[in-house]
Amino acid sequence: MDPVFPPGASAATFDRALKAFGGAIGADNVFTTDQDRDTYSDKFAVNEAGHHPYGGVAPSSVEEVQAIVRIAAENRVPIWPISRGKNLGYGYAAPELSGSIVLDMSRMKKIEVDVENGTALLEPGVGFYDLYDYLQAHNIPLWLSVPGNSWGSVIGNALDRGLGYTPYGENTSKLCGLEVVLPDGDIIRTGMGAMAGSPTWNLYRYGFGPSWDQLFVQSNFGIVTKANIWLMSAPEQVKGMDIEMDRMEDLAPLIDTLGALRREGVLQQSPTIGNWLRAANILTTRQEWVKDGGPLTDSVIAAIRKTFNLGWWGVSVRLYGREAITNATYPILEQAINAIRPMSIKPAVWRTGDPIPPTQGGWMGVPMTFPLQNANWFGGRGGHIGFSPILPQSGKLALEQFLRAYARYREFGMDPQTSFAFGERHLINVNAVLLNKDDPAFMKRVDPFLRALIKDARAHGYGEYRTHLDYMDTVADTYDFNNHALRRLNEKVKNALDPAGILAPGKSGIWPTAYAKERRA
Amino acid sequence: MKGRAIILGLALGTAPAWAQDAGNGKALFHEKCAMCHDANGMGTGLLARRMDPKIAELEKRTDLTPDFIAAAVRTGIGNMPNISRGEVSDAQLAAISAYLSKGKNQ
Repeated sequence: MDPVFPPGASAATFDRALKAFGGAIGADNVFTTDQDRDTYSDKFAVNEAGHHPYGGVAPSSVEEVQAIVRIAAENRVPIWPISRGKNLGYGYAAPELSGSIVLDMSRMKKIEVDVENGTALLEPGVGFYDLYDYLQAHNIPLWLSVPGNSWGSVIGNALDRGLGYTPYGENTSKLCGLEVVLPDGDIIRTGMGAMAGSPTWNLYRYGFGPSWDQLFVQSNFGIVTKANIWLMSAPEQVKGMDIEMDRMEDLAPLIDTLGALRREGVLQQSPTIGNWLRAANILTTRQEWVKDGGPLTDSVIAAIRKTFNLGWWGVSVRLYGREAITNATYPILEQAINAIRPMSIKPAVWRTGDPIPPTQGGWMGVPMTFPLQNANWFGGRGGHIGFSPILPQSGKLALEQFLRAYARYREFGMDPQTSFAFGERHLINVNAVLLNKDDPAFMKRVDPFLRALIKDARAHGYGEYRTHLDYMDTVADTYDFNNHALRRLNEKVKNALDPAGILAPGKSGIWPTAYAKERRA
Repeated sequence: MKGRAIILGLALGTAPAWAQDAGNGKALFHEKCAMCHDANGMGTGLLARRMDPKIAELEKRTDLTPDFIAAAVRTGIGNMPNISRGEVSDAQLAAISAYLSKGKNQ
C-alpha cells in the first residue's frame, strides 16, 4: 500500500513527526513501510480505496502515549488509536481518515486483578485470551464475558459497546473508571479515580459531579489507557437449554417469551437468537450446497437445516449461580419455552469442576475464535460487515424488521446471517453481512445493500449501535433530532478538547473543524 | 535448578538478538497465535477443510519453514489477516517461526 497523506499535510511535516515519534518511543516502534500500512488496513474492506493508514506507532506505556499525542498535536498529524485493532466487520485497525497514523496499544498489556472485589484494571493491549490465561494461571474464580471474536481487546470491546453472552454480556456497562490521555497530552482519571489514591476507583462508577466514562466510549475525545472492568464471580452451576424454533415466524413468540423472562429477572443472561445461517456458516461452506453462486432457495435452506439439525432460529439460554437457585428456576424457563412449541430443547448443565466443552465456552466466559469461520462461507477470500440496528424488545416489531431486511437480502443477492441480542430493555439486531471478496460483481452490491438497510431502518426510527468506518457519517446522519443537535454538541466538545483535530477525526461521525470537509454526504 | 538457570542465562547472553526470543517461541506462539491455531481455533477449523485435519493445528505440522511463516503472518493467507509489527515484532516472529519449523529442521 502506497503512502497517503491526510488533507493539508505534507511529507516534510510527517517526516518531522515520525522522527519525533521515534525519539519518544524508539524508532523500532514506528512502522511506515508499505507492508506496515497493509497490516493496519481493513481486511474485510468493501471499499478498498478508503481508510488507508499512513503507518503505525506502538507505545509501551501511558507516558509514551502522552508523548505521541503531544507530538501529533504539535505537528497536526492525525492519529487513530486502537487497542488491539481486531474490530472485524467494523474496520479492523484502519482509520476513518486516510493518512492517519495508527496508535497501536497492542504492547500495553498490564493486568491487575482485585480478586476480592471481582474487578480487573487493564491496559488496552490485554486481549480476552490474555486475561483468561491470567485468571487461570492464578486460579482466580472470576469469569469473562467474551464476544464471538475473542481475539480482540477486553477494553477495546467495552469501548465499542461489544457484547458477550453471560449475565455480564453488556461489556460497556461493566466499565468502572477510566484513565484517559486527552488530545493535549494531559491525563485524567474518571469516577473515583479523580481522587488520587482512592481505593474505590474500581467500585463506584460515577464519582462526584458529571460522569465522563461514556463520553470516551465510541468517541474521539481521548485515548483510554487503562480501565477497570467488573468480572463475574464464577457460578456454582450453569444450567439451561439450547432451543431450536422451526419456522421463520417463530421469532416473534421467542422474543416475547425471552424478553418477559429477562425483564422479570428470571433470565439474567444476555442471550442471542441466531438464524440458521449464523450456525451453519461455521460448519460448512456455501458451495457444498449451491453451485455457481445460485440463490439459497427454501429447499436448500431446508437441506442445510436438516443436515445440522438447525431450526430457522436457535438460541442458547443459561441460568447462572447457586445450584439450588438455578435448579429452582429451570422449570420456569422450561415451561415458558414449551408453551411456544419449540422444534427441540437440548438441556445443558455445568457444575463447578466439570470440564467446559469448547463449543459451550461462549456461555462460560472461555474465549473463542471459531465463529470467525463464517468468513469462509463463500470458500475463498471472505469477511463480513456489520449492520446492527437497535430494536424494541417486541416480537412483532423484530419480525417485521427482519422480514423487511430479508427482502433486501434477496433483492441484492446476499445470504442472511442475522441475530437478535437481548439487552435489559432492547434488542440489537446484529447482521453480519457475509462477503465474497473473490467476486467483484457481488462486492459492488454490498454498499448499496447496506445503505438500503440503514435507510429502511431509519424510516422506522431504528438506528445502529455501531457501524463500519464506511457508514459512520451515514449512521450519524440518522440521529437527526433538532437538526442533528447531538452531533453539534459532540463537535463543540471535540473542538474544545482537540482544537488541532488530531485525535481520530471522523470517528462516529464526529469531525473536528480542521477536517470538517471530509464528512461524507 | 539454580545451576540450570545459570546455564540458560549464559546461553542467552551469547545468542543473536532474534534467537534470544527463540526459547520463548512456544510461549509466544501460545500468546500470539494459539487463539486461532489451537485445536478449537478459527485457523485450525479452516485449515482442516483444506488438508488432513490431523495436522491442521500448526504445532502438528512438520512442513513449515520460517520464510513461509513470516510471509503468511505479514501478508496474510486465505482468511488469516496479516499481523502488524506492533502486535508481533520481527524478533517475536522469528522466535515463533523457529519454534513452528522445528520439525523441518530436526
